[in-house]
Amino acid sequence: MVDQVDRRNPSAHHQLLLQALRDPRSIHDIGNQDWELLLRLARRARLLGFLAVELEHAALLDNIPMRVANHLRSGLIQARKFQQLARWELDRILWALGEDRAPIIVLKGMAYLLAGLPHAAGRVFADLDLLVPAETLQQTESILLANGWQHHELSAYDEHYYRTWSHEIPALIHCERETEVDIHHSLTSPIGRLKLETAPFRETAVRLPGLEVSVLSPPDMALHCAVNLFQNNELADDIRHLLDLHGMLQFFSADQPLFLDNLITRANHQGVGRPLFYGLYFSKLLLQTPVPDTLMTRIERRPGWLALKVMQLCVPLALLPLHPDLPCRSAKFARWWLYWRSHWLRMPLHILLPHLAYKFYLSVFPHKAVNTSSDGITVKTK
Amino acid sequence: MKVGQLSRKELRSRLSSENGLRVKFGPFIVRIQSFLPSLVDPLHRLYVFYALADDDIAEFHVQIVPKRSPRRPFTPLLQFLVDGQAPFPAAPVHQALTMLEWGINLAIAVRVNHFLLFHCAAVERNGHVLLLPAWPGSGKTTLCAALIHHGYRLFSDEFGLLELQSGHLFPLPRLMPLKNQAIDAIRNFLPEATLGPEIHGTLKGTVAHVRPPEASINREDESAAPRWIVFPKWIANQPLQLEEMPRSEAFLLLASNAFNYEVLGQSAFDAVTSLIQRCECRKLVYSDFGSVLAALNELTDG
Repeated sequence: MVDQVDRRNPSAHHQLLLQALRDPRSIHDIGNQDWELLLRLARRARLLGFLAVELEHAALLDNIPMRVANHLRSGLIQARKFQQLARWELDRILWALGEDRAPIIVLKGMAYLLAGLPHAAGRVFADLDLLVPAETLQQTESILLANGWQHHELSAYDEHYYRTWSHEIPALIHCERETEVDIHHSLTSPIGRLKLETAPFRETAVRLPGLEVSVLSPPDMALHCAVNLFQNNELADDIRHLLDLHGMLQFFSADQPLFLDNLITRANHQGVGRPLFYGLYFSKLLLQTPVPDTLMTRIERRPGWLALKVMQLCVPLALLPLHPDLPCRSAKFARWWLYWRSHWLRMPLHILLPHLAYKFYLSVFPHKAVNTSSDGITVKTK
Repeated sequence: MKVGQLSRKELRSRLSSENGLRVKFGPFIVRIQSFLPSLVDPLHRLYVFYALADDDIAEFHVQIVPKRSPRRPFTPLLQFLVDGQAPFPAAPVHQALTMLEWGINLAIAVRVNHFLLFHCAAVERNGHVLLLPAWPGSGKTTLCAALIHHGYRLFSDEFGLLELQSGHLFPLPRLMPLKNQAIDAIRNFLPEATLGPEIHGTLKGTVAHVRPPEASINREDESAAPRWIVFPKWIANQPLQLEEMPRSEAFLLLASNAFNYEVLGQSAFDAVTSLIQRCECRKLVYSDFGSVLAALNELTDG
């Protein structure tokens, strides 16, 4: 069986996935080979639940091949379970921290769900991301450690990495449950090239009615999504994060006609024009988000033409999943390059080189990862 | 068309082709690819009755590929891949078949939520399904192998696939891995059974696969309603006991033994409740095949 997708074009399968993401109605009559390929691509991109929700909304889930519908539904059931577990984890954290806790801002997947973003309905997220004020970080961590949450066993190096160079502390996991809790004290790495002041984001955060937590304001939520994708992540198979941004832009613009204007003003003010530019640019390019060109030119700190050209070539190859049967050297190279870029943005060279050497060493000797752990770091409640 | 209608050469070329060998196992279609010549013979013998599914959508894409470990550079190893990802570590070359079978089961257990997946053997007699849930090592595969050669239709020795809407069980007749002493026990009791090669040194010791009977595979699309739940336990030299089991206990054992009970949540709770209410629940202790067959025949004739 030969895929109907043109095999000479190394990114033809991307069009299939993008078409499904942009307009699920347009794919209900594709052939079996394309369905099979789409199912594999959506699974790799962790978008089974998203597609299930979209096709259900379009009343098409019962009109597509049953095998595909079964697996989309299975993915959605899994996603909903993750969502339920994360909600419960948040509930338990609020309980453990008590009434007089410092303000908590929920970030990423859980925030999208709490804010009622339609795109979040079938979204998979395995961990819960919270932002707390840096000055209360230590207290928050020790309360959680005293109430049954634990860190994974970490090597002394990883411990140092998190404590000194990262914007979050090592993940906490409750001893009776599996959801990882990432506690952030800032939105970007303290040693990265782009430093984001956290205070303005905290000031405009929106308290959710009926809940004891906040989420970032709509423009900040979109900014954080773009910064996270183009500043913190390595981009490989990350199309779902771009889809988050695409969903947010559409959802918030529907209510507030000037949303995009405000977003750009905010980005310029915070000095994060570049990641926002990339976010809007690739959302437009891949998902056809309606963003007027006149607005794009208002963004400050846009990349130069060479940087943009390189990103234009590499980002789609990395964000979108590889063809599961056809190796693609250019995509591998693009991913390799973006991996370096993300590290380059996150840490200065004198930290980066030893860091990558250490990661390479661990990839050859994985069992060395924990052996070097110095005592007293890992807290385990027995 | 059946796998058995392919010559060894055709099977080998399919396994190493881009389209792979597309096999239907009950409700699932798996695409298998491997260049390994030693996999051809056992598959040709053990997969002979399975239907080929060339034009339908395959849901699982698995490969067995060679792998070199930097820490054991001179030992040839094999890696199981599902959609290009390795869910467990590489193993020596002679374990290809156990790896393939185990890997496919794992992929099903991890991905499928449109059935409630009980970890149990299931067979059908007189139009109804007998579920045999049990912990690993309690001899459910062995008992299941004995039953399916004495008039029971094989659903599965590993998965009870319960469709939530209909309350029906669906067959998934896969190869049945006998372990250690069970291999000789079945060889002695069932000389007519077709067994694969003995594979030594796996995580579970020595393994040999029983090929499901042709009739069970031919009827792999026929679901049936469950009627009996029997929790078996093999204890050497014990007289046969088949006793009523309290429904509450059966519920807990069955639910805590399912792969995706927690993921399915409320709907799984409702499905198990209704299943337990419709079924006769028994606890079984046995030591020899003759008496257990007589007892289960009597139960399923009733």
